[in-house]
Amino acid sequence: MPQEVGKQYSALLQKYIQHEDETDLYAAQQVSRKFIEKKISPEEVISLHKTSVEEIFPELAVKIGPSYDFLIEVMIHYGLALMEHQSLIRKQEAMQIEMDVAVKVQDMLLETSIPKVEGLDIGLVSKPAKKMSGDYVYFIEQKDGEACVAVADVMGKGLPAALCMSMIKFGMDSLRSSATEPQHVLQVINQIVEKSMDDSMFISMFYGKFDKKTCEFTYGSAGHEPALLYRADEDRFIELDAKGLLLGIRKDVDFQQKSVEMSSGDFIVMLTDGVTEGRNAEGFIEEEVILDMLRTMKDRPAQQIVDHLYTELFKMQNYMLHDDFTLVLFKKE
Amino acid sequence: MNNRSSVEIFTEWDIVAARQLGRNEAKNSGFGTVDQARITTAISELARNIYLYAGKGKIEIERLETDGMKGMTIIASDEGPGIPDLRRVMEDGFSTSGGLGAGMPGVKRLMDDFKVESEVGKGTTITATKWLR
Amino acid sequence: MNLQVDVEQNDCVHVFKIIGEIDAFTAPTLKEQLEKVADQPECQAVLDFSQVNYMDSTGLGVFVAFYKKVKAVDGSVKIVGVNKRLKRLFEITGLDDIVEIEMESGDSNGTV
Repeated sequence: MPQEVGKQYSALLQKYIQHEDETDLYAAQQVSRKFIEKKISPEEVISLHKTSVEEIFPELAVKIGPSYDFLIEVMIHYGLALMEHQSLIRKQEAMQIEMDVAVKVQDMLLETSIPKVEGLDIGLVSKPAKKMSGDYVYFIEQKDGEACVAVADVMGKGLPAALCMSMIKFGMDSLRSSATEPQHVLQVINQIVEKSMDDSMFISMFYGKFDKKTCEFTYGSAGHEPALLYRADEDRFIELDAKGLLLGIRKDVDFQQKSVEMSSGDFIVMLTDGVTEGRNAEGFIEEEVILDMLRTMKDRPAQQIVDHLYTELFKMQNYMLHDDFTLVLFKKE
Repeated sequence: MNNRSSVEIFTEWDIVAARQLGRNEAKNSGFGTVDQARITTAISELARNIYLYAGKGKIEIERLETDGMKGMTIIASDEGPGIPDLRRVMEDGFSTSGGLGAGMPGVKRLMDDFKVESEVGKGTTITATKWLR
Repeated sequence: MNLQVDVEQNDCVHVFKIIGEIDAFTAPTLKEQLEKVADQPECQAVLDFSQVNYMDSTGLGVFVAFYKKVKAVDGSVKIVGVNKRLKRLFEITGLDDIVEIEMESGDSNGTV
C-alpha cells in the first residue's frame, strides 16, 4: 500500500468524521479510483481503514479491532472475484482482437464484385448477425452478357459457418470459366461440400443467372428460400422455387432448373431466411409486410430498394439482427 | 532453519484447525493482518478441496528463511483422484470457482509462488509460498 | 425457453415426443436424446413435432446430423405432427423428399 495514498485516506477520513462534508466524500471517491487503478484490494482498504480508525479513536482500538479483522476475512473473496472479473475482461478484449483479424480475412477471401450487364440493375445488402457472417453471395460476370449469382446460407452463425464458405468459394472459383447452368453448379458444389462437411452442417443455396440477350433468368435451388419475382405489368409477386435438397446431405441429388422471362420494370429478389424469419415482440414479421415494402419501392433503383428493406426490417426487429440478413435484387431496366 | 507442522484433513472441522495453524504461523512469521487473512484463506481453499474431492489429505506448513528472506510455505497433499485437466482448472471462470474468484486461480492470486503436481488415480500436491515484504 | 423430449421405445421403433421450441439454446438437448439411439442398426426413429411450434436452422442441423447417422446404419426417420410452418421448412429444404412426413392433420407426403 503506497504510503501517500494511505496518508491521504486517513486525512480525508478524519476530516469527514469532524465535518461530514460532501466535498470530503467526493475527494474520497477520487482516492478509491486511485486504489482500483493501483490494484489495491478491498481487504487492504479495510485494513487501512482499521488503522486510521484506531489512530483517530485510540480508546476504541482494542474493542473495535476484531470487528475489522472479521470484515477483512469476509472481503477476501470479494477481492478475488474482482481480480477474476478483471482478468476475464482482458481475455475478452484479446479475443475481440483475434476475431477482428478473422473478420478481415473473411472479407478479403469472400470479396465479390457486382456484375455490370447492360439492361440489368443489381442491388446487394448483406449484414451479419454476429461478427462473422454465415450468408454468402458470389457473383460471376460472363463475357457474353450473363450475370450469375449464388446466394448461400451456411447453417449456423459465426466462425464454423465462415470456414464452410471457403469451400464454396473455391468451388465457385473453379466453375467461373466453365458451364454455369444452375443445375450443374449446384451439383458440383454439392459434391464438394458433401465430402468435407461435418455431419450437422448443411448449406442452402440459390443460384440464378440472367442472360441479357434473351432476358431470361434461369435458376435452381438447394433447399433455399424461394426467390420472389415481381411482374410490373401485372403488379404481382410470384414465388420462384425449384426443388432441390440442401447441400451436403447426399452425394447424388437432382436439382430442378427453371426459367422466367423478365420484362422492363420486373425484378427478382433473392434472400436468406434472416429476411423472412424476422421477429419482433409480437411474433414473426409476415411476408405481406415485405411484399408491400417492395411494392412501394418498385420504381426505384435496385440498390435503393434493398437498402430501404434492410433499414425498415432492422427497425421492426428492434434494431437487432437475429440471423444474417442478405438480399440480392436483379431489376430489368 | 525450517519449521514444519501439519494437520490431517478428514472432517470439515479439520479445515478450521488448518486455518488456525496457518494463521498462528503467519503471525509468528511477522505477516501483517491482511496477509495473515490471505494465507489463511489459501489454506482454507486447499483444505476444502481436499475434504470435498479427495476425502482425506494433509496440510503442512513450513516457515522459511533463505538469504535474509522470510516466508511461509503451504503444502497441500492428498491421494485422491488427481486433476485430469490442469489447464482448465487453472482457468478463470471455471466451474469450481464459478465467478466467485476462488478455486485454484484464487489460491494462486493470494500467494506469491504456486506449484501443482497431480496424477490421475494417484493424487495431488499443491505447494504455495508467500514472502514477507 | 426450455425443451422437453419424451422417449418411448417399442422394439426397434423409437418415438421422440418433442415439446417446445427448437433453437440454438435448446437444440443441444434434442441432440443429446437423439444421439442415444442413432447408431442402432435398422431401427426406425419417429419424431413427433405436434408440440413444436418453431424450429430454426440449428434445429435443422441436429435433425440432419441425426438423419445421416441413422441412414448410415440402414435405419429410417419419420416425422409426424408438423404444423404448416414446419412443413414448409421441410419442403423448401427438400428434406421432405428423403424422409416421410405426416402433418398434424394426418396427411402424409408419401415418401418411404
